[in-house]
Amino acid sequence: MIEVSNISKQVTTTEGTLSILQQINLSLAAGESLAIVGPSGSGKSTLLGILAGLDLPSSGSVSLNGQDITAMDEEGRAAVRAETVGFVFQSFHLLPGLTALENVALPLELQGDKDALQTAAYYLGRVGLEQRTSHYPRQLSGGEQQRVAVARAFACRPTILFADEPTGNLDTGTGEKINDLLFDLNKEEGTTLVLVTHEHNLAARCGQRMVLAAGQQVTEGSAA
Amino acid sequence: MQALKMLLRTWRGGQLSLIIWSLVLAVAVVTSVSILAERIERALTAESSSFLAADLVVRSSRTIDPQWVQEAQQKQVQTARVLTFASMVYYEANMHLASIKAVETGYPLRGLLRRTTTPFTSDTSLIQEIDFGPAAGEAWVDARLLPLLDIELGDRIELGEISLKVTQTVVEEPDSGGTYGAIGARVLMNYSDLDSAGVIVPGSRVTYRFLMAQGASGADGFADYSAWIESELDVHDRLITPDEAQASVADAMDEGRRFLLLAGSVGVVLAGIALALASHHFAAGQTQQVALLKSWGISASRVRSLYMQQSLWLGIGGSLLGLLVGFGFSEILIYVVREWLPISLPMAGLRPWITGMATGLLCLGGFTLPALWHLPTQSPLAVLRQDVQVKPVSSVVRGLFGVAAVASLLLWYSNNLYLSLAILAGFAITALATIVIGLALLRAGKNYGQKMGSIWRLAASNLWRRKSQSIIQMVGFSGAIALLMIMAVVRTSLIDEWRWQLADDAPNHFLINVAPYELDGVRNMVSEQNLQTAGWYGMVRGRMTQINGQEISEDQRDRHESFRRELNLSWATDLPEGNELTAGDWWDKLDLSGDIAPVSLEDELAGELGLAIGDQITFSVGGLIFEARVTSTRSLNWDNMTPNFYFLFPEGLLENYPRTNMTSLYIPPQQKLLVNDLLRKYPTVQVIELDKIIERIRTIVSQVTSGLEVMTLLILSCGVLVMFAAVSLSMSERLQESAILRTLGSSRRLILGIQLVEFTVLGVMAGLLAAIGAEAAVAMIQRFMFDLPFAMHPWIWLAGPIAGGLLVGALGVGYSRKAVVQPPLEVLKNI
Repeated sequence: MIEVSNISKQVTTTEGTLSILQQINLSLAAGESLAIVGPSGSGKSTLLGILAGLDLPSSGSVSLNGQDITAMDEEGRAAVRAETVGFVFQSFHLLPGLTALENVALPLELQGDKDALQTAAYYLGRVGLEQRTSHYPRQLSGGEQQRVAVARAFACRPTILFADEPTGNLDTGTGEKINDLLFDLNKEEGTTLVLVTHEHNLAARCGQRMVLAAGQQVTEGSAA
Repeated sequence: MQALKMLLRTWRGGQLSLIIWSLVLAVAVVTSVSILAERIERALTAESSSFLAADLVVRSSRTIDPQWVQEAQQKQVQTARVLTFASMVYYEANMHLASIKAVETGYPLRGLLRRTTTPFTSDTSLIQEIDFGPAAGEAWVDARLLPLLDIELGDRIELGEISLKVTQTVVEEPDSGGTYGAIGARVLMNYSDLDSAGVIVPGSRVTYRFLMAQGASGADGFADYSAWIESELDVHDRLITPDEAQASVADAMDEGRRFLLLAGSVGVVLAGIALALASHHFAAGQTQQVALLKSWGISASRVRSLYMQQSLWLGIGGSLLGLLVGFGFSEILIYVVREWLPISLPMAGLRPWITGMATGLLCLGGFTLPALWHLPTQSPLAVLRQDVQVKPVSSVVRGLFGVAAVASLLLWYSNNLYLSLAILAGFAITALATIVIGLALLRAGKNYGQKMGSIWRLAASNLWRRKSQSIIQMVGFSGAIALLMIMAVVRTSLIDEWRWQLADDAPNHFLINVAPYELDGVRNMVSEQNLQTAGWYGMVRGRMTQINGQEISEDQRDRHESFRRELNLSWATDLPEGNELTAGDWWDKLDLSGDIAPVSLEDELAGELGLAIGDQITFSVGGLIFEARVTSTRSLNWDNMTPNFYFLFPEGLLENYPRTNMTSLYIPPQQKLLVNDLLRKYPTVQVIELDKIIERIRTIVSQVTSGLEVMTLLILSCGVLVMFAAVSLSMSERLQESAILRTLGSSRRLILGIQLVEFTVLGVMAGLLAAIGAEAAVAMIQRFMFDLPFAMHPWIWLAGPIAGGLLVGALGVGYSRKAVVQPPLEVLKNI
């Protein structure tokens, strides 16, 4: 499902070239889950961006579903993202002018799904927000907003779900509930899950873990 | 449809409000101004037609060719022949040299005659407005003819071979303003009585008028006919159009029209700035949404298409709404000024609607699209990293698009290159000055602010830290203030210029041909009525016989009537008020002792006659010859209604020649009978009556002035919108900062104080910089559009900063209040 071979990422700054990722290798089968952990600045989010096709590595290659996305142009990668990928972000990224239902329906509508609103309502029900469909993000708590974001991610039925510190902005209790939701849905939908976190509890629930330190892969392997 | 759905949701979410209102206002201003301008123009054209009593007139010194009438009948054009001449009318032993006007049935073709059977009344309920003249055998006369001849309505007066029954008194003729007043009381009679009266004989001084108006054949038929008539004219004939019918009214109307244009153009530019600022603000809020869409795999081209479609829907929807609001606004304006706009306004045509719609779409193309253009290139990575932000299209390119949009709108809308250039130049100078001087001021503020209290220090460093935003805001503020000041200055100059016309006691009668032995008597009669003259001027009638020793040639006589007729020569010690020397020197710098008299000429006449400083003119006054040399030329102010003279000599040179005197004075309607008493006692004195025409000018000028005030208000609201757009630019950042400061325990006073200082400083600076651009633009506009002299306007240098500081400061603090009223967490959550 995800094949990563020798990817590195350098950026040029005024103080010279900065190496953010070095020689990362990874293989993740369909339906598996991977936690990328590490301290702040270790390159977790950069790696997630490259895996999801939002960014390009300086060298190395990434294949999603057998397609080498590093060899594609932005339009090609966009097509792969549209087909394959879903996201959950630390800061939710809900559109403030849209209701919960509309936020979930928007990506479906953009894909031309005629039943977008029904599908969105179904997934809002799955995350327990069937009573809050017409609420705007500002009328929802942080946990509720992230549940809307989770519903939005799953409503598009992605084969791979990328989550960037999904509980980073939430308190422990709420975070736990979101994690449960994420893993339950992941299991039910058969999605491949890649998440960035620095919470060990969350990392421990994933099948694989990758620990990054200063852009280098420290360990790789299955959860204990 | 997806784009429309997204647009409606964004609108509902409140992010589009500013863009939509800017767009709606741009379209509404242009539409309402265009509707109003067109309706007033149509009304004024109708009004000008009534000045002619027709749509077109040929004035001639020969009999109207019967073929013209036949051709008109064939082409279904309405016509009426009118003859005017002076002739004696009698009643028993009394007589009067009346101004006779014989009108064909059908007169007036346009406008209305006002008549009454209650002489000298000003009670409008007793005055009839009618569209026909007297029947054969009848005469309608000026009320003052009744006491002059000692007659009453119903009596018969003698004219030539016939007698006419006086049945009505004439209060006003629609076309009485065409000439500069009539000498002698009016007698209006039917054209068909002329032959039997036998008063027109070869050699009579008669003015023929051939009145034409559009008839059953419509505008095209009339245009055909007028083209044909034009080809028929010879040197004896002159074609008069409504525009030429009344020069002073036409001037005021024309200036009013140009002011409407100026106001509309300023409105367009203001709404454009508001739209540019709003679009900039909107685009900044969209980058994260675009990153999100792209992270979902929406391609850049799809994103572009989505935003283009949304812009198009926005343009169409906003423009339609703007058209409606504009129409509503024009109706309200007309309702508000209905008391001052007694003329009924015909409906406008299609043009204002097309102009409004085009404004909306062009504004969108010029301001909104360039602001959104970069969005599709936003990296999807921005969903993960805040620092990955796409760069907007450079402000220079966006500025060029905006300028191109505004320039084409201005040009199309005003159809006036100078006005467009002046407004653009004024705005460009303001913007440039704001960028250069504004940055320097901000830097100075930051350095100086360090030495001041905490509020000033924080405010100054905030302004510097946000300098690019501060400059954009300042361009918005200063642009708006400059444009509003341009309007205010031009409006004030125009109203000042028209003041004489609006003054209640502007002279409305001229008394001429008062002999020296009559002078004391006339003076006494005037002062017994407690009336003031504009001073008495002596004059001598003389003829030019030679120029530089050469006899006046036939060619010269043909070229200018001043070579043919007697001229009024006068004298003065000091340069009269309202006169300005344009060349040469006044008497005080000349040696007056020589044999040749110095003479000062009106400069336009000097040009027409081909006379320059140093030329020698030989005058003949009652057969006595004297020589004069042109020593200066003067420009005259014809607007002040005081006597003006083309030829002025020093005092003491002409006094020995036979002289008469003249003056001008204001005679109120209730003292109008003075004219009769004067004429009865001094039959050789001539009275030129301008009261009726001045009354009409005053009505129209006051209408134009009221329209001008209302427009100023409308444009002011555009200015406030720009300020609002500019203030809201930095608001979310400011609210966030204020909420954080509040969380940290800062007092309400400190937070509002910082905002007050920041916005007031921005406003004061903007006001100062606006004065530079306004002064430059006004100089151009006054010079090229309104023909007003250049003058600096010191008050705008004071008013700009004060108004800027107060307005911007108040708006900024008003907007920031929620940062201290709401709990900080709520503020942060809503950003």
